[in-house]
Amino acid sequence: MGRYLVRRMLYLIPLFFGILIIVFAATRMAGDPVRLMTTLNPYITEEARNNLIRYYGLDQPLYVQFFIYLSQLFQGDLGNSYAIRGGLEVTTLIGYYIGPTILLQIASILLALVIAIPIGIYSAKRRYSKLDMTVTTTSLVGTCIPVFYMGIIAILIFGYFLGWFPAGGLITQVTETRGYFLGNQILDILWHMFIPTAVLTFAILAPIVLLVRSSMLEILKQDYILAARASGLSERAVVYKHALRNALIPVVTYIGIYFGGMLAGAPITETVFNWPGVGRLFVEATTKLDFPVIMGITVLITIMTLVANLITDLTYGYIDPRIRVE
Amino acid sequence: MKTKIKNQNKQNKGASQWNIAWRRFKRNKTALTGAFIIGFVLFLAAFDTLIAPYEPNEIPAFYTGEARTPPSSKYLFGTDNIGHDVFSQVVYGARSALYVGFGAAGIAMAIATIVGLISGYYGGIVDNILMRVTEIFLVIPFLLILLVFLKVITAVAPSGVGGLSMVTLMIGLFSWSSNARIIRGEVLRVKQQEYVEAAKTLGASRIRIVFRHILPNVLHIIIVLTTLLIATSILVEAGVSFLGFGDPNAITWGQQLQKASEAVKQAWWEGIFPGLFITLLVLGFSLLGNGLRDALDPRLRE
Repeated sequence: MGRYLVRRMLYLIPLFFGILIIVFAATRMAGDPVRLMTTLNPYITEEARNNLIRYYGLDQPLYVQFFIYLSQLFQGDLGNSYAIRGGLEVTTLIGYYIGPTILLQIASILLALVIAIPIGIYSAKRRYSKLDMTVTTTSLVGTCIPVFYMGIIAILIFGYFLGWFPAGGLITQVTETRGYFLGNQILDILWHMFIPTAVLTFAILAPIVLLVRSSMLEILKQDYILAARASGLSERAVVYKHALRNALIPVVTYIGIYFGGMLAGAPITETVFNWPGVGRLFVEATTKLDFPVIMGITVLITIMTLVANLITDLTYGYIDPRIRVE
Repeated sequence: MKTKIKNQNKQNKGASQWNIAWRRFKRNKTALTGAFIIGFVLFLAAFDTLIAPYEPNEIPAFYTGEARTPPSSKYLFGTDNIGHDVFSQVVYGARSALYVGFGAAGIAMAIATIVGLISGYYGGIVDNILMRVTEIFLVIPFLLILLVFLKVITAVAPSGVGGLSMVTLMIGLFSWSSNARIIRGEVLRVKQQEYVEAAKTLGASRIRIVFRHILPNVLHIIIVLTTLLIATSILVEAGVSFLGFGDPNAITWGQQLQKASEAVKQAWWEGIFPGLFITLLVLGFSLLGNGLRDALDPRLRE
């Protein structure tokens, strides 16, 4: 097990470098962030511009820039932002924004799992019943609605027409006169979280329900389920003890793969809900060609994706002893 | 002797793989619904100038003081803040959505098929290298890279080079990896079959085996994957446009949603209708893809 882990991790290193090179190439392909930064300043001289380029090390050959970036990366230094919050350190900047992102994503994934698994099981047990048809149709349609569209509709209904929940943001701002929800900061955040979490949960829920259902149907046809039934076990024990465990393997894979995908989708969800997370920070950084921030967030999300994949692999062995970790 | 065999083949053609698939497809209600939806959007896209009451850039409501008015008999889906007719804009968006969907899926599936075939058939070190590259594309935060590339390209070439084709190309170049893996797995399975062994024994060349014996037998998977990828590509383009990284000169549903999201409170109709059409079209391709999977997979046959 320990050796397997080490080997897996060694194997991730070239993968990480490959991605790093692609992102680096993408950011430096053309960009002259200095020009972008200074277009609004009519008084800037060519000399001052060149000084800025030299200051950021953009005059060096690409490979030198890449090695400088790498050596800094290994010291945990992601550089300084070009344009956001007066050139703050990228690590500090990410520190400010990562919390809300994690909060929203984890809450949605957990909620989605808790709701989706029982629905999927129930749907599989009563295949082709009216409820099953409703569930599968709703889920299928759910996978086809863009998250931001769902978000806009939810904001419209719950935020404006009914006015039950705030339409965006993480917390009531100081400038707003109404103050915190029920006067409590945590309750206020939860209140703000309602619409984004509900929408994201539904978006994640739909594919998981379909997955659990189809996987459960597959498993219930297996011989060992027949054997369990034949030996007189209750339906409950058959479904929850014998079938569920194996039916969850594809779900684990899904969560593993899509954890990265969901983080990478954060720019869209966070823009809709005006949520102060890394996704929105990324959009801002990209519009301003703020390379260090772009690189920093991509590196972070890549590492998180790789770790999620690793955990997925290890979980297989735990859920299904037939899959030997070798 | 030879002619006799040929004649026999002709007689048997009545029940070919594709014929059976077509029969199963016709009975599949979800697949037909999907095909119908796609047909409807194709119709909108083909005759958009006839169906849309106004030109793409026309602002009829601007002059009459009817900008940002809710749906009425005059403006079916209402008007936006500048005075565009939302219905016309939605109709013109159909063409962009289909263009991106087919284009991006076409590019991605071409790469996926080539990588999958080569990797699966040749195996060994070729397979190893191709699969490592595939893994990089699998793990890479797709949307983030897409945004960076699009931004950088528009920064380099502010006019002309960008555009909807560039968005399409970029989506295609970054979404082939998981399908390449699936096709490779399928090729590995088909490679073991007796008919491939037979072709080898008869001295068929590698190219012939790959294109005449393996490709036709993984084609059903490729068709299903393409259909589903069209749906995904349309969603991705809508997301990119929604963030404002799309082609500003094209009329896309994602962009209409972006404009609408700035004023959901004042004008719900500006966003509801384009979003409805995105959902509808994506649903169409998903239904068709699922239906095709049921119809084409020989293992699911009764």
